[in-house]
Amino acid sequence: MKGLEKFLIPIADALSKNKVLIAIRDGFMYAVPVVIVGSLFLLISNFPIDGWSEMIASFAGEGWEKYFDAVISVTFDCYALLSVLGIGYAYGREKGVDKIESAVVSLVCFLMITPMAHTAFTNADGKVFGGFAFSNLGTKGIFLAMIVAIVATEIFAFAIKKKLVIKLPEGVPPAVMDSFAALIPAGLAMLVFFFVNMLFVNTSFGNAHAFIYEVLQAPLVGLGKSQGFEVIYQFLSTLFWFFGINGPAVTNTIFAPIHKALTLENYELAKAGLPMTNVFTSAFSDFFCNFGGGGSTLGLVIMMTFMAKSKRLKTLGRMALPAGIFGINEPIIFGFPMVLNVIMVIPFILCPVLNTIVGQIATAIHFIPVTTGVQLSWTTPIFISGYLTTGSINAIILQFLMLLMNMAVYYPFFKMQDNKYLEEEMKSANDKKKDELDDLSFDDLKLD
Amino acid sequence: MKVVLIFDSGLAGAGGKSNPDCALTATREIAGTAMLLEPHLKAIDAEIVATLYCGMDYYKQNKEEVVTKLAAMVKKLSPDFALCGPCFNFPEFSEMAANTAKLITEKTTVKTASMMAIENQNIIDRFKDDIAILKMPKKGGTGLSESFENMAKFIDTSVNHPENLAKVKEEYCY
Repeated sequence: MKGLEKFLIPIADALSKNKVLIAIRDGFMYAVPVVIVGSLFLLISNFPIDGWSEMIASFAGEGWEKYFDAVISVTFDCYALLSVLGIGYAYGREKGVDKIESAVVSLVCFLMITPMAHTAFTNADGKVFGGFAFSNLGTKGIFLAMIVAIVATEIFAFAIKKKLVIKLPEGVPPAVMDSFAALIPAGLAMLVFFFVNMLFVNTSFGNAHAFIYEVLQAPLVGLGKSQGFEVIYQFLSTLFWFFGINGPAVTNTIFAPIHKALTLENYELAKAGLPMTNVFTSAFSDFFCNFGGGGSTLGLVIMMTFMAKSKRLKTLGRMALPAGIFGINEPIIFGFPMVLNVIMVIPFILCPVLNTIVGQIATAIHFIPVTTGVQLSWTTPIFISGYLTTGSINAIILQFLMLLMNMAVYYPFFKMQDNKYLEEEMKSANDKKKDELDDLSFDDLKLD
Repeated sequence: MKVVLIFDSGLAGAGGKSNPDCALTATREIAGTAMLLEPHLKAIDAEIVATLYCGMDYYKQNKEEVVTKLAAMVKKLSPDFALCGPCFNFPEFSEMAANTAKLITEKTTVKTASMMAIENQNIIDRFKDDIAILKMPKKGGTGLSESFENMAKFIDTSVNHPENLAKVKEEYCY
């Protein structure tokens, strides 16, 4: 185990302390609130009940969904735009330069290399459609957004650090001073992307979007479609937790962009009227692999609360249950504890892996449909999350069966720990009788 | 060797944020994070004789009383070492632990140290000249197990080989 820890810690360190990876991980997070809001609109306009659309149309009028589409489009179809801003901002923070200016420069550079004329679309007068297309600003642009935000901010920060800035005399207002200070760094970043655009326009790809999508995004997202993808993610995330390291904070540096892309692809397929194909979306990962936080401890917490005989596990269970329902289990990870607990590590790692495999099989045999593009907060409680992300009652049944399975896996380990505590508690009660009664009382204590 | 631990209610397995008003409690049971420390302490032949803890809202409302009573309880139990922590990056817990370690140093002969993450820089700066503060990662950070090993080495040196303490302190403390 020592050897494993020695092997894992440098990896966790390298991933969780790498500024580029931190910026990508955190940059995506800035878009999360608006995407969740967009998801609620998506849910309302496609609520998983037969006849829903007609029912609303009976009082809101035909075509009511188009009002919802405005919200859904700016959140889902502009995901790359939101990401480039967020990642530029986060990387500016990591590099110690003006954050909002880094975000603005990243956005401008991204748009500069995005196609603005679309020859496939011409009007009756033969005029070509000019402007940005959702197809470039949404899912397909995610990886390019990551790269542009990092490179543009890197150039921007480089120029600032090299003091390639215009200095104005003392007394000039700070806002004016800052905008002039950013002038040359921003210009340098834009100049680089000016040439990048020129380069790609003259290749067979036609633009940077097509190039990055074909050589980088499609193959990487392809990995996310392979059978073992989610199991590896869940296994690694839980293994890191066992060593006290926040697992998803490490693994998401690599896996989050792929999960995001897979989720958005499902949204786009559904929008185009095609069947959704991606199993390992963010929703699958959040709501079908883990219940109650890392290690899928909700089943354990329920047993602690209602079945524990030792005072200690019962109390901890009662304290941890409310947060556990919302997927938070730090009291269990550090209080049970799960960290470095060589006995509990078995169910702790086994449960998320088993859930993933069962979820994968249930999807393959069409017991549940694949999860839609809906993205809910990872704190959404079990059963509600399953229904809302699939629209299927079977998902609730599946989650319930998985919860029972987790309880069965944890049970022998729970029982072992409970008996051990119960024995200790009885021993300590007997000892207390032997000791002075007020041995551990804080009353009447004096220091001097 | 007898060791007393000073925790917050979360580390003691009594609920942290869900039980912030938890009053001062002393237990002989090995619960919560004490279970993580136990194997490392056993390796240096040390036994956890008691864990003292309270909730962080309780501490904030009764700062002086909590610190005094914790130090007084340590004096009464008179262990070989009192470990105030590990506090991870929790600011209130770190403050309570550092203040308690300082009072134990001033008013008793019990050897003591605190233990916290670099994120509590201002507390470390305020107390590091008065008490030993062992290094450790923040919650969810890397190197937790190693920091526990270092903690055990520090306690062992402090109690059994004080002549080497300066060197060990330089290596493992802020």
